[in-house]
Amino acid sequence: MFRYTRLTALRESLFWVLAIVFLAPFYFLLMTALKSDQEVITSSALAPPSSPDFSNFSDVVTASGNSNVLLGLVNSVLITAGSIALLVLLGSLTGYVIARSTRRWSRAVYYLFLVAIVLPTQLGTVPLYIGARSIGLTGSVLGMIILYTGMLLPLSIFLYAGFFRGLGTEYEEAATIDGASRTQVFFRVVLPLMSPATGTVAILAGLIVWNDFFTSLIFLGGSANQTLPVAMYYYIGSLVSSWNKIFAIVVVSMIPILAFYLFAQKRFIQGFAGGLKG
Amino acid sequence: MSRTLETKTEAVLARELGADRGRRPIGGRPRRAGLLKFGYWWWALPGILFVIAIHYVSTGVGGFFAFTDWTGIGAFEWIGFDNFVAIFQDPSKVGALVNTLFLAFASVILSTVVGMGLALGLNRGLKSRYVLRVLFFMPVVLSPLAVSYIWKFIFDFNGPINVVLRALGLGEFAKAWVADPVWAIWTILIVIVWQNTGFAMVIYLAGLAAVPVEMEEAAAIDGAGVWQRFWHIVLPSIRPAVAIATTLGLVNGLRVFDQIMALTGGGPASATETLATQVYKESFALGNFGYGAALALLLTVIILVFAVVQQRVTQGRPEEN
Amino acid sequence: MTQHRTIALRRGAMIAIPVVGALVLAGCSGSGDASSTSGGESTEFSFTFATSNNLESPYETLANDYMEANPGVKITTNPTPNDKYGETIRTQLQAGNASDVIQTTPGSGDARGIIPLAEAGFLEPLGDTAKDLIPAGSESIFEIDDKVYGQPLDFTIGSVVASLGTAEMNGIDGWPTTMDELNDACSALAGDGKSLLALAGAAGPNAGLTAQAISATRVYAEDPDWNQKRADGDVTFADSDGWKATLQTIIDLKDQGCFQQGSEGAGFDAITNGLAQGTSVGSFIPSGAAIEISKAAPPEAKFAVEPFPADDDGKAFILASSNYTLSINAASKAKDAASDFLEWMASSDAQQRYYELSGELPVSAYQDMDLTGTIYEPIVDLLASESYTPLPNNIWPNPSVYDALQVGVQGLLTGQKTVDQVLQDMDAAWGE
Repeated sequence: MFRYTRLTALRESLFWVLAIVFLAPFYFLLMTALKSDQEVITSSALAPPSSPDFSNFSDVVTASGNSNVLLGLVNSVLITAGSIALLVLLGSLTGYVIARSTRRWSRAVYYLFLVAIVLPTQLGTVPLYIGARSIGLTGSVLGMIILYTGMLLPLSIFLYAGFFRGLGTEYEEAATIDGASRTQVFFRVVLPLMSPATGTVAILAGLIVWNDFFTSLIFLGGSANQTLPVAMYYYIGSLVSSWNKIFAIVVVSMIPILAFYLFAQKRFIQGFAGGLKG
Repeated sequence: MSRTLETKTEAVLARELGADRGRRPIGGRPRRAGLLKFGYWWWALPGILFVIAIHYVSTGVGGFFAFTDWTGIGAFEWIGFDNFVAIFQDPSKVGALVNTLFLAFASVILSTVVGMGLALGLNRGLKSRYVLRVLFFMPVVLSPLAVSYIWKFIFDFNGPINVVLRALGLGEFAKAWVADPVWAIWTILIVIVWQNTGFAMVIYLAGLAAVPVEMEEAAAIDGAGVWQRFWHIVLPSIRPAVAIATTLGLVNGLRVFDQIMALTGGGPASATETLATQVYKESFALGNFGYGAALALLLTVIILVFAVVQQRVTQGRPEEN
Repeated sequence: MTQHRTIALRRGAMIAIPVVGALVLAGCSGSGDASSTSGGESTEFSFTFATSNNLESPYETLANDYMEANPGVKITTNPTPNDKYGETIRTQLQAGNASDVIQTTPGSGDARGIIPLAEAGFLEPLGDTAKDLIPAGSESIFEIDDKVYGQPLDFTIGSVVASLGTAEMNGIDGWPTTMDELNDACSALAGDGKSLLALAGAAGPNAGLTAQAISATRVYAEDPDWNQKRADGDVTFADSDGWKATLQTIIDLKDQGCFQQGSEGAGFDAITNGLAQGTSVGSFIPSGAAIEISKAAPPEAKFAVEPFPADDDGKAFILASSNYTLSINAASKAKDAASDFLEWMASSDAQQRYYELSGELPVSAYQDMDLTGTIYEPIVDLLASESYTPLPNNIWPNPSVYDALQVGVQGLLTGQKTVDQVLQDMDAAWGE
């Protein structure tokens, strides 16, 4: 039925043309980032640089203070990894109890989390900041991990609860008969079975934390612990900015996530589609 | 931030729909009343407390200020519903509401059409379909802030679009796209759709994977055309996926923020302001925190209404049996 | 099944390692924070100021100079992006963790304005040094009940910064002094694909400054107390011929081709590039910005601060006022150290250094300075004859009025709004 015909070949080439148009922004990004200060103003926006100028990149990497991208990179990695770990731990435990409990309160709690997911954050930003400050959570990597964990916990709990619902109780019953304690059953039997859910949580929540800009700008404001998007934002000044410099830091900020995506693309796409199966 | 929310909902609502399907057989089983058989109830406690503190307490406190004239600092007074009256008397706020709805619906329609087209084309047959999927999905993983900088350059007065137009002798159509009262909102729409299409595609691909090849083949043998096959076999099978992708897009579209701030800042002359940008502007930039909180509360209510309507629609939907 | 489990376990390990690392590191930075804030030594304080680019801020350099001159003093600087500055310091003040010294602006027309912050009790009253620096007649935007809450730093000129070199190269002999000359220059330059003025129409502050700088000649030259009359309710924007003329001038400038093409959608980069490349002659920017732009421009550009021509029967008038102030956080635990620093900032050495670094005239010393040969030469006479008015939006009662003007100017450029609509919006934002 699905033989590779001339029509299929045509379809294939058509999609490649589409893909090239679709990804044209990346061409402009790279070409402009490689232009010199002079050329970026004088040459056509479409033209590639006459000779690649890497000085924009070295400027970006050597920038210090608030726009220190290397420090930002380290902070972003720490915050993202820490948040994912806490989200997996707390999300799976809470999701498990909600999914396995037949009591009425678990349904109520389930909706509590559903609503939390659609609440716009603007309303809570200032009260949250004041609260976080009073217990000393602003300005530190640990504070950001706790904050992001709280913010994304409803998502994590939802994903886990859904996956746990789709899981029969046979494994748990078998393990209980073998004499495992409830804690052992969960960490040794149930959680390992949940690796697709864990992958989905890690990728979805990880991307959100990694790309988030506004929360870290406010909550890390005035501290040395800037994240990568904030470092990018600081670097892109308003008055002396020119596109080659802006794009150099945009490229630098994109490299880690794009490299990770291309390396683990299958997991990424599965992670996103993962919310659908079950 | 809005990106945070976007992706959050995407996953959760997807999950919610999936859970609905999975829950049904479980619900049919007789439920055992009483204590948890596995795990301990207090395992859920840290998670619940965390969410209540970070989401509900802070939003509740913020919502309280919607009924005050707080400027963000100092003392305030309780003014009842005055802020809400002011919102509906201000044409620029009503305009922001219209823009919010336009962006939400238009981005859903466009992402659905393009994402569905990509998914159908890349579902089977093409040798390079996996590579192409990876490429079309790529924008999804990038930060909206970074992406918006690229598009701002593309729409710049001396940017690629105008260069091409001038080269084609269409120089009179070249314009400052992000500052054009008519076109500015479309530039935002393009950026949103560009970043969301890959996500819609992936959802539809997951849906399409569930369509049995045999059924399609049988229909083809019976003489059904491509369009008929799509309409009668493919579409009914992936309806849950369509429901997910469209609802997600709608709820996310209602909250678009980063792209607008980076591309137009709400301009020209408020032509691209939405509720989310107005909330930000009033609460923070202009120091009308109470008024901004009232706008945020309005946005919250609108989003919750859409979420509830979605719940009702999907739950009332006949299952695919 | 077995395979399944192994994979899951390995993933567990992968997650566990970064967590431990994160917690350890976070623990370190957390304790570091604690020591710096709870130390409570009076010789140590923090300083928050706005930055608009990645060059080292003058404040940063001044703070370093101060530390060098006073061993044992430690200043922690918190440069904060300009467009998020107001909300950041407000949030921090409200939360009680703002810096000891904060950069503010006079008046109440901005989220970082002194008056609303002081009324809310967040700012510490300052001493006589600050009081002496306040320009006569401007007390209302620095003081409440005779107490000063912000120490002025600069004396910024709001007018056109123009490259006389570029003008000359395009056959324009000196900066136009009448509207007729200006229009001729616009037409001549537009014919060559260049422009007399570069405008960042999409950047609210530039659109707003452009309108205000023009209003100096159309409104305030004739009626310096216009803002007070507006506050008293004697006049309105919508009924003001001066304001109508101001906004109409912007439309005329656009129609005459005085602004570069695509100006309605341009950002600040259009100004920097236009002036540095010589495709535009001048722009309405704060005088200090000329220093930064001249770094990117060829030496023959010869920048100068020039007044915008008045109407036929009007007189030359410019904006000149202190737009940046320093305030002390009322909740500060290092008030003495902070006031010593402010004291030093008012000294003539520090003022001179500020001028060198920022290009802005220093508030205390500018009257004694010889400005011949500097970019300020063309306006020396105007300063001497006091033909200037403070930046109007600092005096307006809330930020929304200026916002309405900024949004309105862009609306005029794109044809979305009429002059009357913009002025009505400003009246509405003023409130009563």
